[in-house]
Amino acid sequence: MAEKGKGQETKAGGKAEANTAKGMPGWMADLPLVQLPLALDFCSPQTEDFTRVSRFFDELRKGRLMTTKCKACGALNWPPRVVCPECQSDDLEWVELPRTGKLWAFTEVRLGAPLGMEKDAPFSIGIVELDVVGLRILARIDTPYDKLDFDRPMELVVAKMPGERVIYRFKAKG
Amino acid sequence: MRKVAVVGGGLSHWGIRKANWRELVQEAGKAVLDDTRNLDKKDIDSLFVGAASPDRWAFQCHVAPLVADMLGVYPTRMMARTELACASGQAAVRYAWLAIASGFSDVALCLGVEKMNNPNMLESQTTMAAVLDREWDGIHGASAPPFFAMCAQHHMKHYGTTRRQMSLVAEKNHRFSTTNPFAHFQKPVPAEKVEASPMVAPPLTLFDCSGITDGAAAVILVSEERAKKMTDTPVWIKGSGQCSGGNNSANWKSLDTWYPMQVAAREAFRTAGITVDDLDLAEVHDCFSISEIIEYEDLGLCKKGEGGKFIEDGQSDIGGKVAVNTRGGLLGCGHPLGATGIGQIIEICQQMQAKVPKARQVPDPRIGLTHNLSGAANVHSILVFGRDA
Repeated sequence: MAEKGKGQETKAGGKAEANTAKGMPGWMADLPLVQLPLALDFCSPQTEDFTRVSRFFDELRKGRLMTTKCKACGALNWPPRVVCPECQSDDLEWVELPRTGKLWAFTEVRLGAPLGMEKDAPFSIGIVELDVVGLRILARIDTPYDKLDFDRPMELVVAKMPGERVIYRFKAKG
Repeated sequence: MRKVAVVGGGLSHWGIRKANWRELVQEAGKAVLDDTRNLDKKDIDSLFVGAASPDRWAFQCHVAPLVADMLGVYPTRMMARTELACASGQAAVRYAWLAIASGFSDVALCLGVEKMNNPNMLESQTTMAAVLDREWDGIHGASAPPFFAMCAQHHMKHYGTTRRQMSLVAEKNHRFSTTNPFAHFQKPVPAEKVEASPMVAPPLTLFDCSGITDGAAAVILVSEERAKKMTDTPVWIKGSGQCSGGNNSANWKSLDTWYPMQVAAREAFRTAGITVDDLDLAEVHDCFSISEIIEYEDLGLCKKGEGGKFIEDGQSDIGGKVAVNTRGGLLGCGHPLGATGIGQIIEICQQMQAKVPKARQVPDPRIGLTHNLSGAANVHSILVFGRDA
């Protein structure tokens, strides 16, 4: 049997001699290692080819936090939209949001951070109530947890991510 | 609307299982078909599969026909997977209820399942984070523990809820789960142990959090006409309510008052023709210890802010105002997302049929409810059950 198998192609395209060298019988196929992605990326593409709110990211790169405001009903949207969830108008304009606010709630992620963020833990996370507009935005807080308290003044941070992408964060002011 | 009854229920064992997604389905499927007397499997005309993320955890979508294959059922009226994150199981039962109540279906099988454990637990955590608004909230590393930690922090700040009161919820539910051989956690967890366990997201420790669990559960729902021919102990669906407050964090109006739950509770009581005082038992969604405290309040079992005192005074234990989470809750049983809502319903039925171990039997229960929240307490779903038609 071994003679018969010698030199024949296995189903996987390998040579039976290779199997013998690896201590594997001729009827066993050794498939190449295929590295599959374990997860999708949390950060979706931000350019105009992929999203109609790419301006949000373009402005954020310049240090401005923007969102859309409905010209028909006046609602301030968060996150930025292409149709107003309040009145269905698609006549929206870009407006700049305050770069400062107060910390409304906060905690620290010690265990259970998602893929790609596991090496960041422990990290602070919180909800910042923006000055003037009162909009509450959840974000990473780039200040250690033990330095945080309710109503602590916060300011915008823009963090660069691989692939020309950006994300907003906040940190304690001053 | 026709009356609809639950006439059978079955569970797989829940835990970190050496079994894959489809094997959990088969275990719960066999359990429910063995449990349901006088059922001709050919009469199952509808199938609803509650599953939160089989696409990610088991790399399998289009799961309803796959479940039909494995259980040998051939639905002719309605079939679909129902997805509502942590409430996917209850969602299956709500659809089945409406299908039968409307007269369109007569016999429906509802099966909830989740296979959440994976050699790389980071994948599991990642899938959980996608329950939130992934692009705007999940991207920051937010997932269930930090959200509920912030809820706990606000409840402590606004109402003086204590660390110990949260621990008592975990202690109670783990005590009950020691009476439940299907539960993930089989050992008692005293309050001191909750407080000494590793911090996940302050103030929540490991035992404040429900487990990452593999499990499945299934029930059979039938019309009144069928129920009367099948069993002397049907359990009836009396009413339901459901309310959403959106998903994105900008729509979280409050972290420690869950307004959508108050609306869902009012609607559930109204449609069932009961008040909160009629409840004998409740299976509420204790995904975290703080959740159960907030749920006492927003269900109306006690005043706002007094949830901590409610557990401390034993009001949610057997012999208190309402027995809460007698099967062990999510804290004691674990939380396989799609299975949880159906596991809770099986407990209500078995309590009403006096089929649970004595250590957790509520005396003569007539009215009960199941509650699930989903995501960051974004949606609240409630079903009311009665022993009498």
